[in-house]
Amino acid sequence: MAFAESQNPLRVHRIPQSRYIDAVRWLSPVSPSDRFAAIAYFDADTNSPSIEIAYVDPNPQSSSPTLTPQSSWTSPSRISSLKTAHSTPQPLLAAATFSGSLHILASDLINGGVMESEATVSELGFHSGPVSAVDLREGGTECVSVGEDGRVNLVSFVGDSSKLSYRRIFDANGLVGYTAVKWASPSEFATGGYGFGIQWWDQRTSGGPVLQFKGNWCQGKTSGIVHSIDIHPSRKHTCLAGGSSGTVFAWDRRAAQQPIVLSGAGTGEAPNSLLSESEVWEVQYDRYTRRSNISNISSTRILPVMICSEDGILAVIEQGEEPLELLAEPCAINSFDIDQQNPSNVICSLEWESLAILTRS
Amino acid sequence: MPGVSSDSARGALVPLSPESPAAAVYPLRHGLKSPISRLSISWSRGNSLRVSVFAAPSSDGSVNDGDGGKVVEVKLGGGDGEISEAHWRRMAYGSVSPFALLQSRKNAVSSLSKMSMNSSPYDGDWWDYIMEYSKDINALLVNQKSASVPVLDDPKSFITKGEEPTSLKAAWELLEMFYAEKPSHSWLPERLVDWLADYDSLFSGTHPTVHSKLVDFQKELVNLQVVEDDPKYWEVMSSALAVGWLNIVVKMLRLHGSYRLDQLSNRETENGLVEAVAVLISKMPRMRLEHEAGKLGECYKAKPDFVKAWEKWRGQINKLDSSAFWFQCAHQQTREGLRSMLQIMLGNANSLCSATYNWIELYISHFLYMRPLTVGLESMYSLAQKSIQLKPMASAHRLMGLIIGILGENTEVVLAECLKGFGPWMVAHAIELLTAGSDHAEMLLHEERQNLGGISIEELHRLVYAQVLSSFPLTWQIAPIYLISCMKHGMVLLQILLSKQPVQDNQLLLKSIEICRLYELHSVTSNIMKIAGVHHWKHGRKGSGVFWLQQARDEYRLNRIALQLFDSVGKTISDESFKQWEGLIQLLGSDSKTAGGLEFLHKYRDFKKSLRQIHDGKATDSARQAVESLISLMKNPSTPQRFWLPLLYDSLKLLNWKERPLLNVSQTNLLLNKLQELSMARLRPDFIESELPPQALNSVRLALGTNLGRAILEE
Repeated sequence: MAFAESQNPLRVHRIPQSRYIDAVRWLSPVSPSDRFAAIAYFDADTNSPSIEIAYVDPNPQSSSPTLTPQSSWTSPSRISSLKTAHSTPQPLLAAATFSGSLHILASDLINGGVMESEATVSELGFHSGPVSAVDLREGGTECVSVGEDGRVNLVSFVGDSSKLSYRRIFDANGLVGYTAVKWASPSEFATGGYGFGIQWWDQRTSGGPVLQFKGNWCQGKTSGIVHSIDIHPSRKHTCLAGGSSGTVFAWDRRAAQQPIVLSGAGTGEAPNSLLSESEVWEVQYDRYTRRSNISNISSTRILPVMICSEDGILAVIEQGEEPLELLAEPCAINSFDIDQQNPSNVICSLEWESLAILTRS
Repeated sequence: MPGVSSDSARGALVPLSPESPAAAVYPLRHGLKSPISRLSISWSRGNSLRVSVFAAPSSDGSVNDGDGGKVVEVKLGGGDGEISEAHWRRMAYGSVSPFALLQSRKNAVSSLSKMSMNSSPYDGDWWDYIMEYSKDINALLVNQKSASVPVLDDPKSFITKGEEPTSLKAAWELLEMFYAEKPSHSWLPERLVDWLADYDSLFSGTHPTVHSKLVDFQKELVNLQVVEDDPKYWEVMSSALAVGWLNIVVKMLRLHGSYRLDQLSNRETENGLVEAVAVLISKMPRMRLEHEAGKLGECYKAKPDFVKAWEKWRGQINKLDSSAFWFQCAHQQTREGLRSMLQIMLGNANSLCSATYNWIELYISHFLYMRPLTVGLESMYSLAQKSIQLKPMASAHRLMGLIIGILGENTEVVLAECLKGFGPWMVAHAIELLTAGSDHAEMLLHEERQNLGGISIEELHRLVYAQVLSSFPLTWQIAPIYLISCMKHGMVLLQILLSKQPVQDNQLLLKSIEICRLYELHSVTSNIMKIAGVHHWKHGRKGSGVFWLQQARDEYRLNRIALQLFDSVGKTISDESFKQWEGLIQLLGSDSKTAGGLEFLHKYRDFKKSLRQIHDGKATDSARQAVESLISLMKNPSTPQRFWLPLLYDSLKLLNWKERPLLNVSQTNLLLNKLQELSMARLRPDFIESELPPQALNSVRLALGTNLGRAILEE
């Protein structure tokens, strides 16, 4: 296993928060030097969940960056999923909760990051039980939410009504549960669930997924749950997914039912050479690359992927190469986000109530 | 034991404890208007109580808002006032790695010493490991709210405010210097001097201390024109000198009026005396390794060098004390103040006693000026006893009890003081230091005791700490680290802990399963999965339920679930709902082992699919496939009997196929036999009638009969 320190300088700063962090996301900055992050907290002492916008000062003079809270929004329940869309100067946030509600927030980064709740869906029947994942369409006005109750809802927020309207795309009546979702195009999205299954949906086609990637492909071995999906805008035919047993795989829709396993189950590797054997909580394509042009990479090759895991690993995986380990923490890394504007910056949330900010250079 | 106050109208909890002098009252904000008829109290997470308050039903039978009851949580105690809960958790998280590292090193050392019998386990790197552990833990105790140190050096400010000291850190540093530092007890007195300099302020809360006097004087200083006229100036300086805060004393001496340029000429002698004392103070010989940069005093490592310098220094003090210059010093306070300072430096017992405010300060002053060569815990202990006699205290600070325990070499007292004063975290981690170098303590703490249920004191305290961790939702995940270090009961308690974790949320569930995987607790894993599976199933998330039961390989429950599923299959597998079922059937996979009785669903789906294709018009081939599926379904023992008739009724179209009979003679006979079996079964009382039209059986029988005739003709 390769370690990052030996190859390129990596600065890591851990900032204790004294509150549990349910999710963390970068917000698109107003100016190149500004950096803001949205953090979903849970205060165990007071039992209060909230989302805060914080100004991240990279602080190049002294060694440690600082977080300055800008504004806070109190959530009715703990945040189960948090996504951001990059519209300036008011980035949008979609926050889904364990009580089954969805909130669209807007943050005005120019005026001190004031956060306002734009709209909310919390009526009964939206989801029964927690919303397990939500995704906000880039620059768009739509957001898709899924739950283990088997419901797939499309929420559109046009106009300035504070009540959101939603459309039920599908209801599996609990026979199938969904645990991850990601937009692929303005009309298509992918969901993931139990047994490492992935579903491909087109909101123009009603009555269920248009394409299914069959679960339980790792026959005989323990199966698992997809926790996170990513789709690269230039490679819409490939769904990248991460889940149980350190599994990271890609499904090329053109290549039918055979998964491309990047790590974990089914690779046939000896257990000790595995990157991680536990849950991969999040996957994202890593846009930070030293290569001059990613279009040089053949279209059948999977682009570099960053993952974080329950056993405290933050790493970059490239197909057919040794994984590059960025962090190995004594506790779980529950979520991370790569700064879209400046992909050398990564923020991640640690189980032990702290944030870590990484700067690759 | 918390008791319920009889005055339920007020609605408050009063813990009853025979030891506590004053009962704490926790008001309940339940917001119920009607009188309370019943209270139920149970432990919630952490140190919270869950109180369920039931209101008495209103007498006139009307239903009002706020009737019924309410569940409220009451957080007991504030814990340790100086450490917030968030800081406490940060300590708990941070101490995991040092603790785990030390345990693994201990195991390595002990297995190594078993291999080579003659070498002592406490050789070589051992003390480095202990010291590393202690330093790592110590670093966690730094208070986050530390004040920034001013950049500008204010000549009038002699107390610098660094980080806010905590008793916990003070206690850990005591343990570190006595147990973790490779025994070099000759430096101990000087280490204690430094320790008091850092932590004297902790004692200020209840008693006056040198530190509190200094702080008070610092406040008054701004209003003083002529410092040396104020007796407090001299008093405070003598006190600071007595406990060896040389830099502060010298800095204060330089505030003396005789240094002012306008007065220098007519107070020349006086100034000379002040300066002479200041120089003597800054030249004080100290028996220690080295000083921090900028600290006054001269260090000597070797005893003979120190003794020589010490004698010389005292000679100089005596010489100054008996000099004739004192008669030329006109300022009375200066004369008296300086000479009493000289008495302190000469080790005058009365001066030391009056300059200090509690026994620890007195104790430290004895080390500095009377017995700088004190070596060994025994003599240190007797000196401490003497100091306590000279300066008895009404109520002892928790740190003082700890010091006495350490000096008295009484491990039980040290442990008891740690537990009483600083809680389970302290004890669980301090034991590592106590047992580090002392065979006696190791024996005492590792001996298995009958009165503790066969476990050692060490294990007991680790279990207690693990219990505390387990009761908080954010820290329970680190309890396993401590539990597995407990040989006797750790594993069982770990299994209980994991089995008790909530299963509703997948993320938490998977975190529990991950811990099971690390410690190879496969049976616990499958139990947790079963619980989760049933939970999801009950809440209508059938897919999740089936997944977890499959993961647990729970054939029994899968079969039970299958029966329930078949009920809904009979009713709801229509063409529209097929997409919903599709996902579940895919999840079941083709591996019948993990599917249990649900294998039937798979075949049923295939059958339905081909039937549907007949409707779509792809005739004969699909019909043939449908017949195959039907036969294999009817042959399969896992197909429940009550599905036989619905299956056959669904296949009426196949049986009455126009072009040619689709079933051959033997196939038809098989189905007829099944039909016969079904008719017999209907006579049994436990038979479940399917929801089909009453003529269904007859029409199937007729169709089968017709088909049999046609098949015979064809063959």
